[in-house]
Amino acid sequence: MPQQDGLKTRRLKAVEFNERGFEMGSRTPITLINGPLGSGKTTLLRHILAVRPAKIAIVMNEFGEIAIDTKVIEGKNVRIAELGGGCVCCSLLGEFEVAVTEIIKKVAPEIIVIETTGLAEPEALVFNIQEALPECRLDAVISVIDADMLVRFPELGHTTRLQIEGADILLLNKIDLVDAKQIEPLESKLRKINPSAAIIRTERCRIDPELLFGIPQSREKKIAPPQHEHQPEFESFTFTSDNLFSRDCFEHFADTLPANVIRAKGFVRFPDSVHLFNFVAGRWELEPFEADRTELVFIGKNIAAEKSTIVHALDECLAEK
Amino acid sequence: MAIIDQLQKISDSVWELPASYKQGMRVPARIIATEKLVREMDEAVYEQISNVATLPGITRYALCMSDGHSGYGFPIGGVAAMDVHEGGVISPGGIGFDINCGMRLVVTNLTVDDVRPHLHQIVDRLYERVPAGVGSHGFLKLSHQDFRDLVEQGARWCVERGYGWKDDLEVTEENGCIAGADASKISERAVDRGYNQVGTLGSGNHYLEVQVARPEDVRDKQLAERFGITIPNQVVVMFHCGSRGFGHQVATDYLQTFLKVMEPKYGIKILDRELACAPFESPEGRDYFTAMKCGLNMSFANRQVILHRIREVFSEAFGRSAEDLGMQMIYDVAHNTAKLERHIVDGKEKRLLVHRKGATRAFGPGHDEVAARYREIGQPVIIGGSMETGSYLLAGTASGAETFFSTAHGSGRTMSRTKARKQWHGKQLQRDLEARGIYVRSTSWAGLAEEAGPAYKDIDEVIAATELAGISKPVARFTPIGNVKG
Repeated sequence: MPQQDGLKTRRLKAVEFNERGFEMGSRTPITLINGPLGSGKTTLLRHILAVRPAKIAIVMNEFGEIAIDTKVIEGKNVRIAELGGGCVCCSLLGEFEVAVTEIIKKVAPEIIVIETTGLAEPEALVFNIQEALPECRLDAVISVIDADMLVRFPELGHTTRLQIEGADILLLNKIDLVDAKQIEPLESKLRKINPSAAIIRTERCRIDPELLFGIPQSREKKIAPPQHEHQPEFESFTFTSDNLFSRDCFEHFADTLPANVIRAKGFVRFPDSVHLFNFVAGRWELEPFEADRTELVFIGKNIAAEKSTIVHALDECLAEK
Repeated sequence: MAIIDQLQKISDSVWELPASYKQGMRVPARIIATEKLVREMDEAVYEQISNVATLPGITRYALCMSDGHSGYGFPIGGVAAMDVHEGGVISPGGIGFDINCGMRLVVTNLTVDDVRPHLHQIVDRLYERVPAGVGSHGFLKLSHQDFRDLVEQGARWCVERGYGWKDDLEVTEENGCIAGADASKISERAVDRGYNQVGTLGSGNHYLEVQVARPEDVRDKQLAERFGITIPNQVVVMFHCGSRGFGHQVATDYLQTFLKVMEPKYGIKILDRELACAPFESPEGRDYFTAMKCGLNMSFANRQVILHRIREVFSEAFGRSAEDLGMQMIYDVAHNTAKLERHIVDGKEKRLLVHRKGATRAFGPGHDEVAARYREIGQPVIIGGSMETGSYLLAGTASGAETFFSTAHGSGRTMSRTKARKQWHGKQLQRDLEARGIYVRSTSWAGLAEEAGPAYKDIDEVIAATELAGISKPVARFTPIGNVKG
């Protein structure tokens, strides 16, 4: 009985990807950006593109606002505009899953950023990425929330609420438009709906892309110079080691990372395998990967103070030789 | 105090939140439901429907039907009639993004015994011919210009090109083409998202079902016969879909426009931003109304092409023509619309823009907008249940004026899609259904799990509430035997 062709096709696709070297562990990370209409999603994309931290493919509903006078390639399921430096902007013409697969095949981006329309409830898309795109990995869900809107419209809309609930990172944007005294209560309001997300205050979505993507870089520095006197400073540090780590202990370590760690990312070597570690505001996963040594970057609010604790906890996790 | 304690019981099927419930309410909010449904209703529905009661021009009540659950701005199941001469607004959140999401029902002269031996073949072929899934393409190859013509002409465009019968148009709401649609009011992006989707189901709760009218489920034999349900265990085909990405884009485009002009230009203040709106009698409001009509027509056309595919599949399976198989359409009705209608309010006739979002128009006998064939008996109303439980054919009633002749549209969710996905497994569900004689094909296991029967309200209770309230009358209940899920 020719049942569930859809699934079969998908499995075949995964095999094809394996043959072409897109094995587990080199899955393309997808960052989902959502938020109500007018909250600043396009501004955030512009900001990301201005910094271009990697070869990014942006998938958006309408790219007219970003890609003007650029060369446009008409694909079967996508329309792709080249932005230079390996970055592209895409709009979907067909089914989401096949379109993303086409983008990976055509431009092989290091990161895919998907901007949902302001009306989208993120959960369905999250599931689609996790279940129907074996060649991709959901990296983080970012929701852009307009602080001014939160003040002016006292009742949170149904979809806005779902967008807040579904986020790993909440950008409380346009804080320059509201009274400084109002920001704390707004954060509490958001925290009540989503206690685990990291909340980051922004003006015009100016945020260091490292926070969004957690790109491991072996350097220690302060990220995102303060744009507003109330904005806490973001910092990062890197941990490297040639030793092997106990998996159980490492998982416990990940579960108990301090709340001010927003992002952690990198490779970790266990006695029998190497994994990619991806941590976003409390949610984390490990997936098989190839690397010669353990190298982890931690990014967060004022985490320099926590560095010795974190390093100590990792040292405690060394596997017995 | 819990909201439920503030609800006043008007009757066994009508509950009211008085206008004093919330500052700014212009009219009371009324919920059509049995006590059981009221108790089960998600609390956000009461907040949403009382927010709707604050919108300019709202007349009599902000209403929520018995299958109500929370949605973007309005609850799904929301009905709001705006007096366009009194500054009444039009709001995309009161129509839904899937403009003219609706139901179509077609009969056959086959019984369940005739169909059973061919069921797998029929469902498998329907699954191939009526593409389902998130962004699925249709087999109809249209240019952008063809599509622009199609959204102005609706199902008529399809019938003229051989997709269906002339009779089909007579039993489609608005004869399959609402007048006044103008493609110059839709964006290029909207055309982009729609032109290759005509003849497709889409995803989510959209489906196509082969169903049986068991003799014990025919509630009103006389009306059933008038609608074409004449033989015991007769097989019918029911499907649920809308205007796909096109409708979504039209709604998105105009929500953005409304957010810009609502307060600065028209001084309209709303509680929830998702209720963005503009006065109906404003350039922006009129443009959206015109663009929305393109969405209505796209959807009528979409269902027309799907009906054509269904007839092809049955015809092939039985080696007989669709005419010979008696594949007459009973009706096609929208449940995501806003329409200008005349209603009597406090003894005076008024021209109202009636928003129905997840609510079905249900005109009673004698209404001149009911298809001639049914004018004496009332408009057919098609209400889809979950794929496990069953669906209904009803008729509009003369006593429906209280809800501006509107009734429920489906069962209404009891839990979020995420929760449903966690609770059930699609593959297991398919096996369970198969064991119960329901053969299901779906593009996504997880999507299938979302549609598990218990994720929805009890359809019989939803229907009972509408009957009790006198807004629609059950004619027959259908049991599924085959399902293609989007």
